[in-house]
Amino acid sequence: MITRRIACMFVAVAMAGAMLTSCGTPENTVHSIDDLKGKTIGVQIGTTGDTLAGDIEDGKVEKYNKYSDAVQALKQGKVDAVIIDKDTADVFVSKNDDIELLSEGFADEAYAIAINLDNAELQTQINGALAALEKDGTLKAIKDSYDGENGGERYKSPEGADRSRGVLVMATNAEFPPYESREGDDFVGIDVDMMNAVCDKLGYQLKIDDMAFDSVIPAVQSGKADVGVAGLSVTEDRKKNVLFSDEYTVTHLVVMVRK
Amino acid sequence: MSFSESFRQNFLEADRWKYLADGLLTTLEITVFAVLLGMVLGFLVAIVRCTYIKTGKLRPLDLLCRLYLTVIRGTPVVVQLLIIYFVIFASVPISKTFVAVIAFGINSGAYVAEIVRGGIMAVDNGQFEAGRSLGLSYRRTMMYIILPQALRTVLPALANECIVLLKETSVAGYIAIADLTKGGDIIRSQTFSPFLPLISVAVIYLVIVMFLTYLVGKLERRLAVNERR
Repeated sequence: MITRRIACMFVAVAMAGAMLTSCGTPENTVHSIDDLKGKTIGVQIGTTGDTLAGDIEDGKVEKYNKYSDAVQALKQGKVDAVIIDKDTADVFVSKNDDIELLSEGFADEAYAIAINLDNAELQTQINGALAALEKDGTLKAIKDSYDGENGGERYKSPEGADRSRGVLVMATNAEFPPYESREGDDFVGIDVDMMNAVCDKLGYQLKIDDMAFDSVIPAVQSGKADVGVAGLSVTEDRKKNVLFSDEYTVTHLVVMVRK
Repeated sequence: MSFSESFRQNFLEADRWKYLADGLLTTLEITVFAVLLGMVLGFLVAIVRCTYIKTGKLRPLDLLCRLYLTVIRGTPVVVQLLIIYFVIFASVPISKTFVAVIAFGINSGAYVAEIVRGGIMAVDNGQFEAGRSLGLSYRRTMMYIILPQALRTVLPALANECIVLLKETSVAGYIAIADLTKGGDIIRSQTFSPFLPLISVAVIYLVIVMFLTYLVGKLERRLAVNERR
């Protein structure tokens, strides 16, 4: 008798839960960038998308800690659109069949490596290494190796590479595929391989420090990390706080919506 | 960068202080309603559990309450918040502040329940027996004899629970609620200077908590007046 009552209660709770979760998500209302006016827009805190979304007329900006949370909120109809970097957006779209990208780009940007304001010497070294990697095709090979299924061989450090200059600490936010993410215990991604190649050229040992995205620049500023490599777009505001290397990727922001 | 320049950049430029002001309001709003919900839930659960312990009635409800206590006290509040937002209210258009109130209220209710139960059980059983032998029903004994005495013992602990809850709401930013902590984070993400935003957020919490602690102290002194030694 008592057990039956409990069982009934559980069934009722489960049914209520199922009803709540299975409600249909609202129809997509954003079909062009102009449609963003007055909408709720999901972003990741501290990104360039966050800054630009603030300028949208009557727009309401929801600042999530992670892109994956913003995308989850989009899928559940909690936000109308997400402003996100193109390459990462492609990874999300390839893994979720209920979202897509607007064909018009939102804003152009370029990624670069952030370095402490007082460390112009490291900036010069890194720029030299980047130029060399660009010239011998290593950079392109690294980018190609993360191009979905048809990616080529991943970058491997040469045997007996010089490590005489000691450890170089890289601050990153490893939730940003294909630039940086975790694979088991390892960090992988274009930024990670590129920095390994840079360190191999310069004689450093790379050490990766994974943190929240909005902590990356403060970590470089305060000297907790030597470089910040996290798909960081170069902006005027950021330039006041850190030095940037030469740009290594030219990309753009896109608008992600429900299908 | 000089202090005044940094102050200007972090608070005055682009009206950034508003992130803190709005955030503070949101934090207080969530805290107040969550405390109310937690108190209601907590008292109900405590009464159910005490009734079961004292009389053996309400067994199914007691089991349910124990399940609630185990689950809520056995899991971190951030995880509960995320589950309520992303799983339970998955595709329901619902205000996030409401989600936070529900999550923190349910969480707080579990702790309140145990505090209140402790208070009720601490009232000497002779009081209960006296009430019953005077012909009062169980409910009336509970309402007029036991609960008033229990309340006096648990009030300071309940007030402490409010203080804890206020600080716990700082994780509301996980579901993109712009509460006080998140307000500081937003400023930090725009100015890249950690010092002032973090310190001012900490100071604001501290001031509120100190004020609440002062009120609790006052309350404790007033309750002690009636204490016969």
